[in-house]
Amino acid sequence: MATMAQSSIQKTSVIISVFSTSPGIGKTIVAINLAAGLANEGYKVCLADLDLQFGDVLNYLKLTSTNTIAGAQRALLDNPEGFRINDFLIEYSQGNVNFSILPAPLYIYDAYQTDVQILTNIIHRMDYFDFVILDLNSMFSSLNLAMLDISTIINYIGVIDFLPALKNYKIGYDTLLRFEYEESKIRLIENRADSQKLINGKDVERLLGEPFYHKLPNDFPAVNKSINAGQPLMFAAPNSRLTESFYDLVGNYTQRQSKVAPEIKTEGRGFFSTIKRFLGF
Amino acid sequence: MAYRVIVIEDNQDLMEDMVMTLRRSPDFEVSSTYKTANAAIGPAAMFNPNLFLINIDNEETLNALPAFVDMFPGAYILGTMIQWDPLKAQEALEGGAMGCILKPFSAKEVLEYLQLYSMRGKRKPAKLISFFSPKGRSGRTTLAALLALLIGEKTKERVALIDADLQFGDLPIFFDLDPKRTVVDATQDVKLLTPMTFAPYFSEIKKGVSLLSSPDRPEYAELVSPENLVEVVMMTGNIFRYVLIDLPAGFNPLSLNVCRISDLVFVTTMINSGFEIKHVKKTMEMFEAQKDLKRSVKTVFTRVNPFTEEERLKISLNLGYPVDVMIPNEYRMISIANSGRLSQGLPADTLLMKSISDMADKVIAEGR
Repeated sequence: MATMAQSSIQKTSVIISVFSTSPGIGKTIVAINLAAGLANEGYKVCLADLDLQFGDVLNYLKLTSTNTIAGAQRALLDNPEGFRINDFLIEYSQGNVNFSILPAPLYIYDAYQTDVQILTNIIHRMDYFDFVILDLNSMFSSLNLAMLDISTIINYIGVIDFLPALKNYKIGYDTLLRFEYEESKIRLIENRADSQKLINGKDVERLLGEPFYHKLPNDFPAVNKSINAGQPLMFAAPNSRLTESFYDLVGNYTQRQSKVAPEIKTEGRGFFSTIKRFLGF
Repeated sequence: MAYRVIVIEDNQDLMEDMVMTLRRSPDFEVSSTYKTANAAIGPAAMFNPNLFLINIDNEETLNALPAFVDMFPGAYILGTMIQWDPLKAQEALEGGAMGCILKPFSAKEVLEYLQLYSMRGKRKPAKLISFFSPKGRSGRTTLAALLALLIGEKTKERVALIDADLQFGDLPIFFDLDPKRTVVDATQDVKLLTPMTFAPYFSEIKKGVSLLSSPDRPEYAELVSPENLVEVVMMTGNIFRYVLIDLPAGFNPLSLNVCRISDLVFVTTMINSGFEIKHVKKTMEMFEAQKDLKRSVKTVFTRVNPFTEEERLKISLNLGYPVDVMIPNEYRMISIANSGRLSQGLPADTLLMKSISDMADKVIAEGR
């Protein structure tokens, strides 16, 4: 397993949040495929489902679990010393791809009882992962703001097929800037970018004053296959353009320099080793 | 012709003030005054009154309202109170008053209130209808808007739409409005408002149907306390006969509190990934767990495809609850909402409009 743990420098995980201001536009799909893509490159990854009331990560992957964030919160309150976040994670495993998941609470009542401070603490305790992916819901809630605060990168997802969606995307972006999140940290990602629509992508970029960092093409059949199979796109629809686009997005985050077929290395594929290789050490 | 007024008031100073005010106005003629409801109910008939001003700060006179309605079905009844009390105002409407007014008042104010309240519609408490969705992207807002327009059209009573989706409300776009005042302003001001001063916060979108808009910045949502929003909704019920509230997605203090006072909650869902049915199930269980509530909770599925009874059965078997309302897809919907022309609606003969029209008929028939 490739990790950065051997480094003598105290490491922290890269936290990537997946956020939007419109619901139902593919955040969970993005989060799952980011997690799978990073895991596929040998990184140690945890995906936390922070849509506490109606999280869909387990639904998408056809998993069930009694381990949840709610249990983790109770355990951390009961016994802070003995708390191990690992006890509350479940594993997704397919082929050579393995990643951990921190599931959302099973019951709305439990979701309602969660505490932002404690959840932040729990996420901090995941720093033995190379990447922590946060699947958020689409509101400026105190939980989401706390999570955006601790995120290294904010993937801000939009589907611009409907005027209210565009309005909410623009308002959300302006709000993120007004809340003083650095522009470099916010990555604008357009989902279903080439679907038939009434609004032109160029106009959107002009309105935002910023180009999209990445555009994910529309491939409804591939997403459907992925949902039906309960598998990330790389398994359910390996040849889809969308799968390819996720591969490129993951590559941006792992500093992968060239497109080579993903193969699982047993060591030496971490962040620093990639940089070292690139620099010719 | 002047109103023949009966005033019932146990506070001597207030009584003198009100009588003096009314006597100075050519629009009113004070027929008689009484301290208590008991004293008034028999003798008042001798004056053939058509307007009662009844002190509802007094529990006894408040409770006597139905007796006056029975005895004087043709007369207007206004409850009078010193300070706006949403619960008392509600009880007054339930008792059959046309509404309430703060005292002391000017004669002009009484006339304005009579006008405001007579436009409202039937002299019954407002029907509060909330639109809840677990995650959003459910068709909730579009449905609320079209239902409001249809109820207004069918009843000719006044209908309010409140955009309580405070962070990302879409109703101002649907109706191409850029309102000066929003639901956030209303919640800030509500302690100082009366129905008369509150009415201008609404923008009329079509005859008899008005919108209280959401704010244009999501952080303003933080300024809204659930208690104040509940008061805003209740005060809206004094001006409008039907109040439709578009809630933010999911369970939060705002949505829970507004659902608590609603007569009817539509849990609205659009099936995309299929997991939505699980979310509705969780939602219905959550509502069921709150047994103290008298309101009815109904499930609505939008963009149902295929639009058949078999599909209804399939969804309800999965859900474990009946599918109360099904709305079909209508491809023209997006471009109509996009262009801010929702107030003109869709052709009435489309399946979508027929379904929502049936829904409106049921809401109206259920009464309140």
